[in-house]
Amino acid sequence: MVSSTIDHMVAVTVFLAATMLFIGLFNQTIQTAVIYQRHRATATKASDLLDNMLLSPGIPWDWGKSDVVPTGFGLQDPEFTQYKVSPFSLMRLNSEAGDPVYYYKTGKSYSNITVGDKNFLLVSNTSVLEYSSALQLLGINNTYGFQLTMTPIVTVEITQEQAASPLRFSLDVQGTGFPLANAEITYCLITVSLGGGSPSFNSNYGTAYTDAEGSATLVFNGVTNPNLSYALVAYAHLGGLVGVGYTERVSSGKQYVIPFVDDFSEGRILIAHSYDIQYYEDQHPAEIKYNASFLFLAEDFTLREMPLENSAGHVNYGDGSPYEVVNIPTDNPGILVITYKKSANQGGVVMMPWGISSLAFPIVFGGDPSKQEWVATDMRQVTVGGIAYRAQLSLWSLEGYQVIG
Amino acid sequence: MMRTIEVLIVIIIITGAFIAASFFAVLPWPRQVSPMNLRRLSFTTLQMLDSNYDLSIAAFEVDNDTVWGQLQVALSASLPPNVLFNLTVYEVGSGTQQLYDMKASISNAESLGAMSDASSYLTASSNVTFNTVPEKIGEQTGGGTLYILNCSDANGWWITGYTAQSLAQDLYKLLSPYFVDTVMVQNTAQLATILGGNDLQGETHQNAVVINTFGEAVPIPSAYCQSPYSDGGYARYSYFLGQKVREFNWTWCSIVGYPFYYVSNTAAFPTQQNDWGIYGMRQTGGVGSIAFFRGLDNQAYGTSGSAVTDSGDRPNVVLSQDAIEACNYYGIYPSIYQTSTRALADSIRGTYHLSVGMHIFNPVGGYNPGTIYNHVSAGTSTITGSLMALGLTRTPDIRLTGVGLLSYYHPRLYRSEYTAYGTSRLVVLQLGLVGGA
Repeated sequence: MVSSTIDHMVAVTVFLAATMLFIGLFNQTIQTAVIYQRHRATATKASDLLDNMLLSPGIPWDWGKSDVVPTGFGLQDPEFTQYKVSPFSLMRLNSEAGDPVYYYKTGKSYSNITVGDKNFLLVSNTSVLEYSSALQLLGINNTYGFQLTMTPIVTVEITQEQAASPLRFSLDVQGTGFPLANAEITYCLITVSLGGGSPSFNSNYGTAYTDAEGSATLVFNGVTNPNLSYALVAYAHLGGLVGVGYTERVSSGKQYVIPFVDDFSEGRILIAHSYDIQYYEDQHPAEIKYNASFLFLAEDFTLREMPLENSAGHVNYGDGSPYEVVNIPTDNPGILVITYKKSANQGGVVMMPWGISSLAFPIVFGGDPSKQEWVATDMRQVTVGGIAYRAQLSLWSLEGYQVIG
Repeated sequence: MMRTIEVLIVIIIITGAFIAASFFAVLPWPRQVSPMNLRRLSFTTLQMLDSNYDLSIAAFEVDNDTVWGQLQVALSASLPPNVLFNLTVYEVGSGTQQLYDMKASISNAESLGAMSDASSYLTASSNVTFNTVPEKIGEQTGGGTLYILNCSDANGWWITGYTAQSLAQDLYKLLSPYFVDTVMVQNTAQLATILGGNDLQGETHQNAVVINTFGEAVPIPSAYCQSPYSDGGYARYSYFLGQKVREFNWTWCSIVGYPFYYVSNTAAFPTQQNDWGIYGMRQTGGVGSIAFFRGLDNQAYGTSGSAVTDSGDRPNVVLSQDAIEACNYYGIYPSIYQTSTRALADSIRGTYHLSVGMHIFNPVGGYNPGTIYNHVSAGTSTITGSLMALGLTRTPDIRLTGVGLLSYYHPRLYRSEYTAYGTSRLVVLQLGLVGGA
């Protein structure tokens, strides 16, 4: 009788323990499968969402060239089909890459994409599209978060090897997986002239080819002044791939002009003194004279100059000195080149792309994927204003699921 | 003891069930949960490589090592380092031939692994031309002349941002293929010549289309810058134009704003301006269009009566369905939404014996933002003169003028088709990932 009772107790205990163990084991398998399905759904959503963004121009279709708030989100260039993205719609995305810049004379903050030292793209926050708005326009508010990155496929790194007599540069042209060997490089050297009242510039065009390692050397024998301010823009192209590189040298590094995009539909650009934004504590600012020009990229990859009205002027720091305004009279992508002059031997040049593609600026738009539980990514190869970019979308679910047990 | 043994047997059974379930319920590899969409990556890579037609050139020059070397470099450079590729070009056959005949192939690996995907892309030979031959307006019915006013001695108004000459050139490029003769009227003296019933270069004068590129202003020859044409602020000149349009059965096109609101001649009015600071121009006002219609309807000259043009704002007037179809047919795509501030009242049709030849824009509240009016005298069915009035706000979009005329006359397009063997090649790009399975 006693042994029978013990037998029952041991059997029941072992049975219950085994049952609990197996419930846990089966539960874990099912949980893993459910998570897999959800991750798979997120990945599919990422692919669909990326195509939705890239294959629709949005509503209205020309929202990238105006200041209207879109009622539909899309980045396709409305003048083309396929995966061709508008360089202007991308300009209107609130960049996550740089800290916003506040300009007290307009009382506005500006979305900041500044590449290098003197290449600015500062867009008024009243004109840019916020991430939260994009989520609502895409219909994924509170369900998904995303980050869209647009990265140039071809990078053209320019290094100054010799300052003058002759001025010499080395160029390194790389794709994402391979150097761009035997690529044609079309370049434009812009040299700043500080003589006379307003600064001006001269353009020097030419072509070169990369070697098997994607390298090339550019030599300018006519440059004998090691303090000469210049900007060099180089377009590398091969087999449908096009990339851009640029560099500047200035003789006035702290006091310069900064362009702000104030109005898209009118192409209104504000020109401000750098001391209104940076180096605020400096007590010895000087007036800066400037001269603005617009260069657009022709089909043969050369830059053509387009005259601007009221292109020359001067700006200074402080309340009594208002900013100046120039208007870009075209919807075509190009580069706003502003030469500036602090004194007879101090000046320089700043550049701003009109349409991000003309200087191949990268774009980061959206939330932060780094703290998410699981992120799906997908990518497409696109062209933006003729420049090859990779569009990558990172997508994560906000519904908060995780493995239990 | 027996119960314990039974429980152990149960545990063994459940363990077996778990092992069996685990064996069959194989979860995928992590990379399969969120795979790189190789098909899309492949397709977009092909599109990007062909953005300047470099891929198409390579597809038809398979023996050109330089071109294919560049293609291989571009392909390697554009894809991520962990992606393997195989690009193959096929000739597209026809009839009883083999449908796809491989021409060339390049790859950066011997094998693309167990998991790969591919996309195809059809390229056309650069030797192929897709040609379209338009029917000529008036070729069968008589007429077929397009006069474009390009007078160098007149100024425009409400064509802000353009000059009449630049608009004239654009119109020439847009519409000249559809007319038998296109004549640029270079100055007001030449305008006087055609108003006098004479041709300029042997063109057919009757049934012509006259496009006034000067917006709200109308060029006036010096010979008409005097009495009696100066009556009513030169409304009498508008009346005269109406008579001529009736006489020659012209279609007069006003591309923007009020029709016949100003007259312009820089030589005759060098010190006079249109009340808005534009010299070489005189303001006729709203009576200009009244006088024109009276002339068109062969009524006695006069300017009395209520204005025929309204200045109310009508944003978002919409192209008519016929005009939208013409946009698609002729490949001209202005915005279908426009703003009208100078629409003609529909009520004028009875007063001046006008019928609607075609609504370019849908009527709004008793007004016609853009319409071609035909004058048909009472008791007849013959058209004797027409007016196309686009009462839109500045600045003009001359594509609307083109769409309006083409949708009204509707010349056919004869498209050439090339389906010859060897004009298309299929490019297939297969991608795989390093590590394969």
